[in-house]
Amino acid sequence: MKWLSELLKAWRARNTKPAGDLKDDQLDISEREALVQRYRLTSSLEGNLKAFKEMIGPSADITIRLMQLGTKRVPAAIISVEEFADSQQRDELVHTLTTNLLSGAFQDSPAHKLPEVITRLVVQSPRINYADTLDELWKLLLEGFTVILIDGHEQAIGCATERVVHRTLQEPESEPSIRGPRDGFTECLSTNISLIRRRIRTPNLWAEQFTVGSLTRTRIGVMYIKGLAHEGLIQEIRQRVNRISVDGILESGQIEEFIEDNPTSLFPIVYRTERPDRVASVLLEGRIAIFTDGTPFVLCVPTEFSMLLKAPDDYYERVPIGSIIGFLRYLSFWASMLLPGTYVATLTFHHELVPTELLFRIVAAREGVPFPIAMEVFILEFVFEILREAGLRLPKAVGSAVTIVGALVLGDAAIGAGLVSPAVVIIISLTAIASFTTANFAFSIAARLLRFVFIVLGSLFGLFGIQFGFLLIILILTSMRSFGYPYFAPIGPLVLSDLKDVFVRTWWWNMVRRPSLVGSREPIRQRPGQMPRPGLQANRSNKQRASRMER
Amino acid sequence: MLFITRSSISIATLPALTMGSAAQDAWAASLVIALGSVLIVLLIAGLGIRFEDKSVVRFSQELLGKPFGMAITIGFLIVLLHFVGAEARLYAELIIGSFVPDTPIPFIVGSMVILAAIACYLGVETIGRTSDVLVPLFTLAILIALPMGFSAFDSRSLEPVLARGLKPVLSSTATSLALGGKYLSLGVLIPQATKPTRILLPAVATTLLAGITQTLIAVMVVGVLGPDLGNSSVFPFLSALRAVNIIRLIQRVEALGTIAWGFAILVDTSVLLYVLCRATSELMDLQDYRPLVGPIATVWFVYSMQSYDNLLSLLHFHESPAFAVFVTVTVFVPYALLWIAYGIRTLKVFEKRRR
Repeated sequence: MKWLSELLKAWRARNTKPAGDLKDDQLDISEREALVQRYRLTSSLEGNLKAFKEMIGPSADITIRLMQLGTKRVPAAIISVEEFADSQQRDELVHTLTTNLLSGAFQDSPAHKLPEVITRLVVQSPRINYADTLDELWKLLLEGFTVILIDGHEQAIGCATERVVHRTLQEPESEPSIRGPRDGFTECLSTNISLIRRRIRTPNLWAEQFTVGSLTRTRIGVMYIKGLAHEGLIQEIRQRVNRISVDGILESGQIEEFIEDNPTSLFPIVYRTERPDRVASVLLEGRIAIFTDGTPFVLCVPTEFSMLLKAPDDYYERVPIGSIIGFLRYLSFWASMLLPGTYVATLTFHHELVPTELLFRIVAAREGVPFPIAMEVFILEFVFEILREAGLRLPKAVGSAVTIVGALVLGDAAIGAGLVSPAVVIIISLTAIASFTTANFAFSIAARLLRFVFIVLGSLFGLFGIQFGFLLIILILTSMRSFGYPYFAPIGPLVLSDLKDVFVRTWWWNMVRRPSLVGSREPIRQRPGQMPRPGLQANRSNKQRASRMER
Repeated sequence: MLFITRSSISIATLPALTMGSAAQDAWAASLVIALGSVLIVLLIAGLGIRFEDKSVVRFSQELLGKPFGMAITIGFLIVLLHFVGAEARLYAELIIGSFVPDTPIPFIVGSMVILAAIACYLGVETIGRTSDVLVPLFTLAILIALPMGFSAFDSRSLEPVLARGLKPVLSSTATSLALGGKYLSLGVLIPQATKPTRILLPAVATTLLAGITQTLIAVMVVGVLGPDLGNSSVFPFLSALRAVNIIRLIQRVEALGTIAWGFAILVDTSVLLYVLCRATSELMDLQDYRPLVGPIATVWFVYSMQSYDNLLSLLHFHESPAFAVFVTVTVFVPYALLWIAYGIRTLKVFEKRRR
């Protein structure tokens, strides 16, 4: 019956040869990819190596080492990618294969049992994977495996020899913190996942992996706490990630665009962060984190509006401080959007609302300014945006100096030339400072852009226009959803129990319940009644002191 | 939503509408109005919760037969259209009169129609969430404005208390009670609730709360402006706030009242427009109400612009007995008939079970 199985193998190998040849220069990329995906490895080492070399072309970073295994001298090839596989581990693997199979108990292993002997007894690799197709072989190589092809066997054996290359952990520049952990994510997926695993040590912290991008084959990690995150949400994330069909993913922002609910929204629907502590905290609430290999920015879903206005220090500082600063940030966000428009509206249409003395001062300062108030504000806002953008693009050593000097010189010169009034410069400066308090960069951009809309509405329709714009924004925010969850929760819909962590922050011992919508699978997160109080020892000594005083 | 629906138009104009005969006893009229509003809620919502999965469009046809039920529903739609049209016109008149006199009224009305149409199109959930956001802001603005108004309060304006007896108080409540016809929206909204049968208590509670707010406002207006000036003011609440002058910096706080009213207008008109669209779609047996939003919004806009020459004609219509008769005939009488029909049906079922 052995002849029958050989016949079947040969028949299978014949049928799986792809129509088309990888040597053909006329094939376009999609045809080449299709050929690679269809090609099944055969039992012929020579055939497999030929197909592999046709696939990779003259790529010099891929090493192929030919060798013979065991006393029977079975031809084999060891393949690895230089910067992906650790050279020391690879060399040890080669040494193990050559010495152990030439001596010891395995030297006389028959050829057909070689893969089994190698994987179970000889090689001491932490992980062994197998590949049946050229595509799978390539995936193993990209994950840092060293692949062994053996003549006479249709499967390739991959041994884990991954070399982890990452920059040192640094505090994220986009989200600095005064008091809080100073580590941030890097571009390496496995390092980022390990940073979370250090913080959440339950085995129920699951990390699923996906590969996205036909050419880049970027690894995507989806992390959640099993039993806490809603199964429907997990399934939704899986579906959306699996639905992505693109040639390349280089950054998490691209993933965000493929999976978000409102592509046209100015406000970010997905929360992005570089901070592991932030990701750990959202996972503990029942949300899901999406990691992208090659970028330190991790996406957290579902997102709420209030999350975007939170800074890490709100949770690490004392409650009154964290609450006041958090509330100030809320006011600053709305001020950064509404202040210039309200200023224009008030001075253009509603002079009676301004206290008389202040009105006289402003009017006097505006004496001789050739532009209407709206135009002044527009010009200065535009100039400030240019300065801000220039400051981002210039090298750090020069950038901040240029922007400060530019702002000061421009502002002062403009006032001196009588082009703008001092009050407008103050308003624009206050607006800019208010916008800097927003922790999330994408969120602050939304406010910056909407500011111009409010300036137009205020200049045309006064406070009625401001109100119209404000109500329209509220309508839009309340209609948005993030992966099925209301974006403006817990403000609209109003969830009173969740408000303790929105405008202000309550004490940690009072945060007994998780956010109602996201954390409803396991609403209680800690034992209630943990308000600090003196312990038993302190009680005893207090009682003794009291009784002594009585005597 | 109910609180803001009831409060919006009443806060803007209530004292003017009640002080005609109540004068310094406008606060007493407000209390009577609050109790009367509770009865109206019980009348409308009390029947609605007995048909928790059907709106008034459906159960009116079930109780009174299809032709009669449809006729009643059409009457309801006309009343709702009137309310939403009057509301938009009133607010536009305030904005034009006080802040932007050169802006054409159609523009202000059109802006409100657009906002409400967007809210309606986005769905009742969006309207509910928006109201969750705006009601606290509205309440906060009123709570800030009221004490400031009391800074110019003169309690002697409230005297003599009930000098002319209860008759002027009761007779001045007709218009405001007729405005309670807005609670018709409950008849369409109850089936949309998560727990329709538990809607009655919150509805009554919010009505009472709105009543208390109105009473406080009436007291403040009478105390600040006095009975005569309060009677001649078109927007007495806002006029009373204009009189506030605390330190030299806190003046002209009627802006707070105007902003609060603007928030209330959006929620109120969105709810009424949604109810109009929803009821019309059920009447026409349509699957979705959204295609009707544009046409009904247009009808609303035209009605707002054409039905009144100016603000005074709008106020005179509402002050006249014709308005109270109109609402009674189109809302309260049909509901009374619905209750009677329901009672007869329940009795029949009870008799059947007994046998």
